[in-house]
Amino acid sequence: MSAGAPDHGSEAPLLSATRSQGERTAPPPRSQVEVPGARDERKWVAAARGGPTLEEAEEGPWEVVVALERWRPSVLSLVHALRFRLATLWGENAHGGDVEVHGIFLGGAECRGVHLRVDLPGAARKLPSLLPDLPTALYFERELSEMFGVTILASPDTRPLLLHERHTAPPMLPAGGEPTGVRAPFGFPRTEGEGVYEVPVGPVHAGVIEPGHFRFQVRGEEILNLEVRLGYAHKGTERLFEGLEPSQATVLAESISGDMSVAGATAYALAVEDVLGVPVPPAAQTARGLLLELERAAFLMGDVAGIILDVGYAAGAAEANVLREQAYGTLELLTGSRLGRGAVVPGGLARPVPAEARVDVERSLDAVRRGLAGLVDHVHDQPSIMDRLRGTGVISLEVAEALGMVGPAARASGLVRDVRRDRPYGPYVHERVRVRVASRSEGDVEARFEVKVAEVLEACRLARHFLGEGGPATGPLISSRSARPRHGLGIVESPRGEFLVALRPSEPAKKVLARVHVRDPSFLNWPAIEYAVRGNIVPDFPLCNKSLNLSYSGFDR
Amino acid sequence: MIGGGSPGSATSRGEPSADREAAPSSPSRARSTASAPPRETTSGIFGPCTTKAYPQGPAELARMGARTPWHDPGVCEGTGACARACPTEAITIEGTGRGARLRLDYGACVFCRKCVDACPTGALRAVRFFELAVRSKDDLVARHVAGGTLGANPPPSQDKVSREVRERISRLFSGSLAVRAVDAGSCNGCEVEVSALSWPAYDAERLGIHFVASPRHADALLVTGPVNRNMRLALQKTLDATPDPKFLVIAGACGISGGPFRRSKEVEGGVPPSDLPSVWVPGCPPRPEALLYAFWLALGRVEQQLKNGELPPKVGGSSLR
Ligand code: SF4
Ligand code: SF4
Repeated sequence: MSAGAPDHGSEAPLLSATRSQGERTAPPPRSQVEVPGARDERKWVAAARGGPTLEEAEEGPWEVVVALERWRPSVLSLVHALRFRLATLWGENAHGGDVEVHGIFLGGAECRGVHLRVDLPGAARKLPSLLPDLPTALYFERELSEMFGVTILASPDTRPLLLHERHTAPPMLPAGGEPTGVRAPFGFPRTEGEGVYEVPVGPVHAGVIEPGHFRFQVRGEEILNLEVRLGYAHKGTERLFEGLEPSQATVLAESISGDMSVAGATAYALAVEDVLGVPVPPAAQTARGLLLELERAAFLMGDVAGIILDVGYAAGAAEANVLREQAYGTLELLTGSRLGRGAVVPGGLARPVPAEARVDVERSLDAVRRGLAGLVDHVHDQPSIMDRLRGTGVISLEVAEALGMVGPAARASGLVRDVRRDRPYGPYVHERVRVRVASRSEGDVEARFEVKVAEVLEACRLARHFLGEGGPATGPLISSRSARPRHGLGIVESPRGEFLVALRPSEPAKKVLARVHVRDPSFLNWPAIEYAVRGNIVPDFPLCNKSLNLSYSGFDR
Repeated sequence: MIGGGSPGSATSRGEPSADREAAPSSPSRARSTASAPPRETTSGIFGPCTTKAYPQGPAELARMGARTPWHDPGVCEGTGACARACPTEAITIEGTGRGARLRLDYGACVFCRKCVDACPTGALRAVRFFELAVRSKDDLVARHVAGGTLGANPPPSQDKVSREVRERISRLFSGSLAVRAVDAGSCNGCEVEVSALSWPAYDAERLGIHFVASPRHADALLVTGPVNRNMRLALQKTLDATPDPKFLVIAGACGISGGPFRRSKEVEGGVPPSDLPSVWVPGCPPRPEALLYAFWLALGRVEQQLKNGELPPKVGGSSLR
């Protein structure tokens, strides 16, 4: 087992992060720039601009344009001095074959964030890499390179990310390249030495699992290294949004990660409402909150079931799946769809949630809450289960921070971010909604298990709260206003963590979508599994995998 | 160490920090040593049986959402509002007014009910009907004339799979069927419902249907997803690795038509037609009961309900007209 696993000998109460982190390296020094009050987002932008970094030009309230040679220093100063984090990076086609690169940087509570843009002239399309100083940027840069033909200068890894075949041209450029059927080379790192062997797994896995390829380098039973190759579920979804009317694209947003349909649709709806200035009736917001929390409960029950199953306790997993079915049945009662598909639309809800379902929903929520509490007590009493979870698949806080992880997996490593609390949206804006964010510090499978259990219970509590506030709610039709930023941003705490949609409607009528970028939480979290399994044994891989429950389709789109 | 040093982690909304940061509901490790009295931990295993009766008994229709669009040509005015609202071109219409030709393809439908909401005449209704699986893709398409009568002149439905083959499948597999699931680029919504077949609520194993880890052990492949370019080869290899005789169950709008992704250059637009006996299961995703029905249809244990895109005249005990 991992030599670096934390000591679990003592039984200190661990409601939140109380265990010492051992020899953690000190965090980088805080900003030299004066940090303004977190409430005032304009000052944040001003500080960023007045600091050592950003150029003067600004378009719209939050879009700041930087010159190409200032890109790298600006970003690094935002991240390292001002303590923003890179939430996403995407490309867009501009006039004359130029490519714009946009980045969203989010701070902590109450800060709307900074939107940076750098323009790459069509002739060259070269961008200096943010690596090695900003590891989060790697996947974004690789995607930019293959999708927009941007040359990333001085990048340590220029392999393709989502495309497995060569294309006649980068597929996201206006002309849109086609797949040629010729497979592009992809090199896996090799490990050599006595007794070292490789285990290739996938893309077709041994269960009902999405496609992806894992390449393990193993000595005995110990995993020395894992490299994950993704892209097997790539469908070119972002391109499909283009040219659609906002009301027609909801099904695409739901199909980024189908097991988080409500979160995907809500993030998309928030982005559309943001850019077009669509008001949403408060009752619709509350109903969205109810659906979001129900989806979270159902989803995370699945993770709880999966972890219990992967230690070989089938009866306990079946028990968890009874509760999971209950949650999906409740979602169907409210929306007509077991996954809540087709329920959330820009402007509100497609149809009101039926008021007569209330008693049934309350009863189900109580059943899930009681059932899970009992099951977890029972599981805690089984040393043969807890022994497998404890110290397995450790992700340290340093790794979580460097990768920019989000969601329950980050919170289990002591990186406490939750969009519902830090950047309240829709249903969570109301001051009476207080999200109690669960966290642990150990970063092992047990910590992720406990965090997810706590989040199901909290989701049931919040759902009950929203149920009490709820009422019939359908939204108005979309009408556009002109004085808005070019881009709309929708950020939602999905069951896997921060789900982000950035979109731009066509100018000037804003009738159709010109560019939609979706960043699933798994896009940030996938690399973590490569760290989690190091030094673990191969038979514990399913546990590491299930406790992280990463979305392949969300990553690949 | 809470908040990881991000600038806003100090609570700036004037709340007691413990309330927002610790989770009182989070169970503590210390608890596991307490000797708690034995409590009821099992609502499903030792408690009452939660497995649903379907397909041996009736489905719990009353608890299901009505999502399947049903079109009545008699009241249709041919406005085309449905076709404009449909996100996947499952409904298309040629011409306008009475006499317009409407085509409704359950294989492309994502069951969003936008057409039902858009229809000004009430010609489209959402019904509780999920036994939509068919043996031939042609049976998924309804062709109506606005103002005409239902099933006025249906072309004869010809079953692509001969009676002999159907009987052989039934004889070989109906006692025990080993299924290998292959995700050919799905959004993973279909995977949720496929995994639900193993939950106590649906428990496909009680029907002799079990999921296996290798195509070498399989009698049938359950394919989801639009067959994107990156999974084409893997799907072909999995198919080749499955021993004959075998058949296919293609689940979800994606596998049948490409679903929401049908226009992408990166997908093939569904599983290409083959000589293998196949069952096509509409849905986005198909609900677990719909998948159970599809397996029973493949095994010849139930009759096909949807013919030429026409639902049976009675749905859920009530007449459609
Ligand atoms: S329910 Fe089906 S046919 Fe109707 S609009 Fe939605 S996808 Fe189209
Ligand atoms: S049919 Fe629907 S649920 Fe299934 S994979 Fe396709 S988009 Fe997802």
